[in-house]
Amino acid sequence: MIATLAYLALGLLLLPALAPLLAFLKDGRAGRKAFLTAIGIAALLLTALAAYVLYTGTQLLLPLYDLAPGLGLTLLVDRLSAFFILIIAVVAFAVAIYSAGYVEHLKSPVRKNLLIALMSIFVLSMVLVISAKGMVGFLFSWELMSLASFLLVNFEYEKKGTRKAGLYYLAMTQLSTVFLIAATGVIYAQTGSFDLQRVAFSSPFWASLAFLFAFLGFGIKAGIVPFHKWLPYAHPAAPSNISALMSGLMIKVAIYGLVRFLLTVLPPGPVWWGILLLTAGTVSAILGVIYALKEHDLKRLLAYHSIENIGIIVMGLGLFEIFSAAGLHAVALLALGGALFHTLNHALFKSLLFLTSGSVLNATKTMNIERMGGLSARMPGTAALFLIGAVSISALPPFNGFVSELMLFEAFFQAYLLASPYLQMLLVIAFSVFALTSALAAACFVKAYGVVFLGVPRSKEAKEAKEAPRSMLAGPAVLAALCIVLGLFSFQLFAIAGFSFPVPDLLVVGLLLLAVYALTAFALRNVGKRRTCETWSCGYPSAGSVAEYTASGFSEPIIRIFDAIFLPKLTVEREYHDGQKALFKRGTAEMRLMRFFEEYLYDPVARAVEKAAAFVARLQDVDLDLYVAYIFVSALLLIIVARFLI
Amino acid sequence: MNWLFALYFVLNTAVAVALAPLLMGVVKKVKAWAQGRRGQPLLQPYYNLAKLLRKETVVSSNASWVTRATPYLSISVLIVATLSVPLLFLPGKTSAFGNVILFFYLLALANFFMALTGLDGGSTFGGMGSSREMSLSAILEPLVLLTFLTLAFVFKTFDIFGIVGTTSQAGIFSVDPVLILLGAAFFVIIVAETARLPVDNPETHLELTMVHEAMVLEHSGKHLALMETAHAIKQLLLMALFINIFLPFGFATQPTAASVALSLLSFLAKSIILAAAIGLFESSVAKLRLYRVPGFYAVGTFLVVLTIILEVFR
Repeated sequence: MIATLAYLALGLLLLPALAPLLAFLKDGRAGRKAFLTAIGIAALLLTALAAYVLYTGTQLLLPLYDLAPGLGLTLLVDRLSAFFILIIAVVAFAVAIYSAGYVEHLKSPVRKNLLIALMSIFVLSMVLVISAKGMVGFLFSWELMSLASFLLVNFEYEKKGTRKAGLYYLAMTQLSTVFLIAATGVIYAQTGSFDLQRVAFSSPFWASLAFLFAFLGFGIKAGIVPFHKWLPYAHPAAPSNISALMSGLMIKVAIYGLVRFLLTVLPPGPVWWGILLLTAGTVSAILGVIYALKEHDLKRLLAYHSIENIGIIVMGLGLFEIFSAAGLHAVALLALGGALFHTLNHALFKSLLFLTSGSVLNATKTMNIERMGGLSARMPGTAALFLIGAVSISALPPFNGFVSELMLFEAFFQAYLLASPYLQMLLVIAFSVFALTSALAAACFVKAYGVVFLGVPRSKEAKEAKEAPRSMLAGPAVLAALCIVLGLFSFQLFAIAGFSFPVPDLLVVGLLLLAVYALTAFALRNVGKRRTCETWSCGYPSAGSVAEYTASGFSEPIIRIFDAIFLPKLTVEREYHDGQKALFKRGTAEMRLMRFFEEYLYDPVARAVEKAAAFVARLQDVDLDLYVAYIFVSALLLIIVARFLI
Repeated sequence: MNWLFALYFVLNTAVAVALAPLLMGVVKKVKAWAQGRRGQPLLQPYYNLAKLLRKETVVSSNASWVTRATPYLSISVLIVATLSVPLLFLPGKTSAFGNVILFFYLLALANFFMALTGLDGGSTFGGMGSSREMSLSAILEPLVLLTFLTLAFVFKTFDIFGIVGTTSQAGIFSVDPVLILLGAAFFVIIVAETARLPVDNPETHLELTMVHEAMVLEHSGKHLALMETAHAIKQLLLMALFINIFLPFGFATQPTAASVALSLLSFLAKSIILAAAIGLFESSVAKLRLYRVPGFYAVGTFLVVLTIILEVFR
């Protein structure tokens, strides 16, 4: 019964792959609605299944297809998989609703159908990765996921920069697969099996090697600094509903892989695994948010925040490893719980933010926040939903982002339990960086919400913006409601799940807030007169948006404070009327921020690869005689090598 | 929810709301004395609030619902935050309050919305204030949380009730001498969080110096009254944390009528002395340039890091 439902859900997810056939119909609108409904129903079924597995703890074994004897695509859903399937299903459900309105904005019907087809394959592939029983199925679905998302990143290929983003993404995602294949190789060499089960390593060296390969493979895909550079290119280039899936879900699939390896494949590791994870997470978190602060492309800003939040999750996993290695299992569990809960929360609010910014993009035709403003009056629903996402991602109570960050803070607070003083100091440093990250995220979202939705419109397009259609509000509303519910009821939910984390009861806090708010508003409702009036601008006639604070102005103090990281270069050119340089005629000033990783890591590597490629190309571009010589030499070498092997 | 907690709820909130403007007045009075003036009456903040409630509330035509809701939200958040800081006695174990992170993130929630209202009116000043406030509070955050991480090293708990429970049993500084260093760092936090000199100047409306005042510039009438009360409560709560952790003598260890009354008197005396100290400190320093403020925070951070190193390697 349960298995049948699972097959049904997977089938329903595969069904919309037929969407391109709708091109033969005159008006495919109804057909598209039907296919999106199929995705929605499949998502609901998967949610129910995942909840069932999570609650009962049963394991679900679903054979799919045998590639070859012993290389079967078999699905195995345990509680860890079920948790991630739950995340995917919930977000996919909201995105399916949103897409009903969003897809119709695209110009050609072929594109509309194609987007739905690719979207369903993308979601399906993520579900398959997470429920794969062995590494073969895992890698197969992983590549399917990478290819589907590569096509989706390139979806608007005629736009400037999209193809570069696509190539960047393809190169990095393939690199990640290389490391995963290496990890698989190590595991196969040790056990002779591809199954994702506890591996008994012959020596700690092989375990650490497998861990390193897995960390690199999943780290690249998750966007951990310094492997993050593809993420702020690729996620914003995709259509907005896909950005939500990529930032909300796909990088979480990488987190799933990491957690799967740490929990069920690799043995309990030495403490340096945890130190590596904690350091990588901390660096990603702080750099992600600092780069987000200077970003004025709304979707790219959100993409940088994904790097930040992935960093926070990886920090939690690092804490889990460190406390586990020290035998402090209660704190380790708290850190792991925080990391996993943050994974769920980030999926919810990041998808929410990407979906609502997609609505903003559709309404204003720009992603530059310097050309927005005043959208709260024009798109009140979208604005309110974005605000809920902004408050959640800024980790403010009583919403969900607060709870998961609180759990990680509490794990840090128990650093005094660790034996080694050096480890304690490491945690202290990571803790203070985490505190800074969290506060900077709030600053960034004051900027994002304030500049986009408040104040006066800064362009004609922003002035004429219209509210998004109903489905594009309903989809994000599901996520927003979950952000609030998971925050308010976190205490109760953990109690039901059987965990006793030291989390404050936010339901009490929330209800009290509401009560005091209502009481104050009621008590003061008739006090004093009220008047609406233009903003005072020092007696000048209304300057409109010119007098308004810009996004660049807003983040300027932070850029100045962190100039060691941004390394801003200020170039000022002035022209004067006279030789004494007293009368200023005109001038330009430009501030350029250094792109450290691109200039010092990616570009050198890319140049080296190009050089190697040029060398190889020289070998290739020759006449037939030389090719025959190549074959002769290769055959000779093979014979010699074979002689030693046999 | 038991009777003790209900009593705690009523008393704690009432004391916080009633005393908060007085402490504002004390700081102002001491500053006036330091400048050789007679200064305003001690109760002037109360008169100001009463006056503001009668005045017209003007809202910018650019403003969204955020500007209208934030004053009420600020006061609600601060009143709920009050429950995490025991002023007179401890209510016993609760599932919702006393968590350090919850307390400071509630303050951050109020700050977040206040900064949004700065941008809501579409004026230059408001945006400037929000930008500066969010930047400065972001770099203050590590200092605040590090202070409590160090307290967790000392007290083996990160619960405010737990910390106060330990300190109130002990005499002056008998818990640990490192608390002197932490107390100095915490003083920096109070000065910074309550927008006082040398970080911010509460007296001025000059665009070069103002941070907090710029954000609330567009508020008037009852909205301004609520924002100012919320700000005063925030100051009182931070001072109360300082008092209960670093100068805990007199704090009621049992919730009996006599000891609670004594606790109220001692809190009143200590908070007035602390407010006077803050006033004197403000009078003795000059406003720092905006980009010099991180250096001031660094002084506090240095003290905390020193304490941590002492604790970790002892």
